[in-house]
Amino acid sequence: MRKTSSDSALLRIEGLRLHFKTMRGTVQAVDDVTFSLNRGRTLVVVGESGCGKSSLARGILRLLPRNVETYSGKIYLNGDELMCLTDERFRREVRWVRMSMVPQAAMNSLNPVVRVEDQVAEPLLVHKCVTTREEAYERAREAFRMVGVPLDFMTRYPFELSGGMRQRVALAMALVTDPELVVLDEPTSALDLLTQANIMNVLKQIKKDIGVTFILITHDIATSSELADDAAVMYAGQLVEFCDAGRFYLDPLHPYSRGLMGSVPTLWERKDLMFIPGQPPSLLDPPKGCRFAERCPDRFDKCEEEPPLTEVDVGHWVKCWLHR
Amino acid sequence: MTSIEYQRSTAPATERARRPWVDTLVRIFRYAGVRLIGSLFAVVIGVYLTVLIANMGGYVDDIRRGQIREAVVLSMMSNPEIGRLSSEEYQALIEKQVEVEERRLGLHIPFPIRSFRYLWNALTLNLGYAEQLTSDSGSKLVRLIILERLPATLVLFATAYILLFILAISAALFLSRRYGSFLDKVVVALTPSSAAPGWFYGIFLILIFASALKILPFGGLVDAPPPESRIAYFLSVCKHLVLPTAAIFISSIFLTIYSWRTFFLIYSSEDYVEMAKAKGLSSSQIERRYVLRPTLPTIITSFALMLIGLWTGAIVLETVFNWPGLGRLLYQAIGMHDTPVIVGSTVIYAYLLAVTVFLLDIIYALVDPRVKVGAGGARP
Repeated sequence: MRKTSSDSALLRIEGLRLHFKTMRGTVQAVDDVTFSLNRGRTLVVVGESGCGKSSLARGILRLLPRNVETYSGKIYLNGDELMCLTDERFRREVRWVRMSMVPQAAMNSLNPVVRVEDQVAEPLLVHKCVTTREEAYERAREAFRMVGVPLDFMTRYPFELSGGMRQRVALAMALVTDPELVVLDEPTSALDLLTQANIMNVLKQIKKDIGVTFILITHDIATSSELADDAAVMYAGQLVEFCDAGRFYLDPLHPYSRGLMGSVPTLWERKDLMFIPGQPPSLLDPPKGCRFAERCPDRFDKCEEEPPLTEVDVGHWVKCWLHR
Repeated sequence: MTSIEYQRSTAPATERARRPWVDTLVRIFRYAGVRLIGSLFAVVIGVYLTVLIANMGGYVDDIRRGQIREAVVLSMMSNPEIGRLSSEEYQALIEKQVEVEERRLGLHIPFPIRSFRYLWNALTLNLGYAEQLTSDSGSKLVRLIILERLPATLVLFATAYILLFILAISAALFLSRRYGSFLDKVVVALTPSSAAPGWFYGIFLILIFASALKILPFGGLVDAPPPESRIAYFLSVCKHLVLPTAAIFISSIFLTIYSWRTFFLIYSSEDYVEMAKAKGLSSSQIERRYVLRPTLPTIITSFALMLIGLWTGAIVLETVFNWPGLGRLLYQAIGMHDTPVIVGSTVIYAYLLAVTVFLLDIIYALVDPRVKVGAGGARP
């Protein structure tokens, strides 16, 4: 199934749009997002709540709610265009075979009346990755080992596991089919700090061991720095900055990214925590020009127009008139 | 942290991991045992209350004593030798006869003690003799009368319930997929039809299909001379089943579909359904494993409640359809003041209810692994 292509980008997204229809109008949850991600790298997508991070994940995985209005753009996974696939082919050939996900609330993401081993082995059997049930359970055992869930937990039901264990099971489920891309949608936001750190360590270990490509969606900038190779900043449904993690954590360019970084507390350093005044604009009717202009400290006349996403340095894209 | 947790749980759990089915069985047996005791307790209390009420808390004894005395006096008067006795001797003889008779019937034991004997007799279906009613075979044994009627009731209600369950569950699943469609709106609009009981619709069904169209019988279990061959008999029973089953069905189906469809809708918005979709399961697999399975416990609860309601509606329904079942028997017995039959029918109803609820409880435990006896202890 996997093709080796000369193009080193595993995932390339061009002009992805995902708009929802609501009673009050159209919500532009993801608007014209373009980026590409290389194999084996981990992309951290950060931004405030309600800026379209989770919708971006849904867009990539084609997990659309009923009220979708627009879903357009191009998604290339390892060179194959996914948007032109029918739903049935997408389900058979892409879902969980090539892309999997770890959901936001792992508490509720496991079926309460099915043993966890059956749930983890299920995608293997559904997609016929294995020929026998024994083989499927063997692969499931491997996945449990990889994420650090004791094997005797396999025959338990989700309600018999703690939150951290459930999240690990969800992770095992995402890894069991050996997919090319795993989308983690705030995998640790519902857990306590120690468990968060544990899961992060597991992710780091997995990244080192099997070189899977992750997209980690989070609002926890500090924790995500552990894992990041690349960083993407979302604001009001748009991608405003995309660059190497090293650059992002030290010296981001977009005023919004700077604001975000300034709000992260650091140890040993005497600084006043920054915050960005105001609230993200409503995605129902976003402002015409730069969507951040209203809250931007460096606003000037040009900001009335929408800035393009420009490559200011190799692999460093910014959507701001200050950086052209 | 992982390694610590691992060591702690390895020893007892390796065996457990190997045999998850044994685990499930043990859990269900324990649960069933506790539920059985609970159901029996409920039946005992229900029957005891019936015994107390049917005897009017002991007042019936006074009536019976009066009846005995009257019978004794009457039989004495018909005896010509009595005239030779003196009035004291006569009185003494009456008292003696009355005492013998009361002793024979056990009336000399105080009622509170006797009530427990009645309770035991009732529970063991040792129901005594009917006062007026007889079974078709001519017996006056209440047990025989009731056992003769029981199959008719079971056939009718089992047919109706099974039909109702299967059709309602598939229709509800179908509508939950088409939430907000025209059909969905029609079903929701028809829901108030369940405000009327089954026999109400039964009357109209009889009017339409038996009286006007003359295609189905008015009532009864089989045709007037019962058909000779087994197949013809079976077909005749089926024909007679149509209207009463339809009456039960119409009075419950829309409300049931409506509420179950809502359960399905609630459960299909759970995160694990979304996950199942992301995992690439086909929609029929999602529906079966991720919507139907987790919803079943809720549906079974609602079904159990509905059954309890429907059993009580049986009395009027069977009377309307002249169905020779328990309900009609109870109706006849009440009309004839036949206390042993009333008590007997009530006992059987109590048993039927308890058995229904017990069976549903077991099914509930089978479909929901979270059901366990005891709050903390059962958690591994």
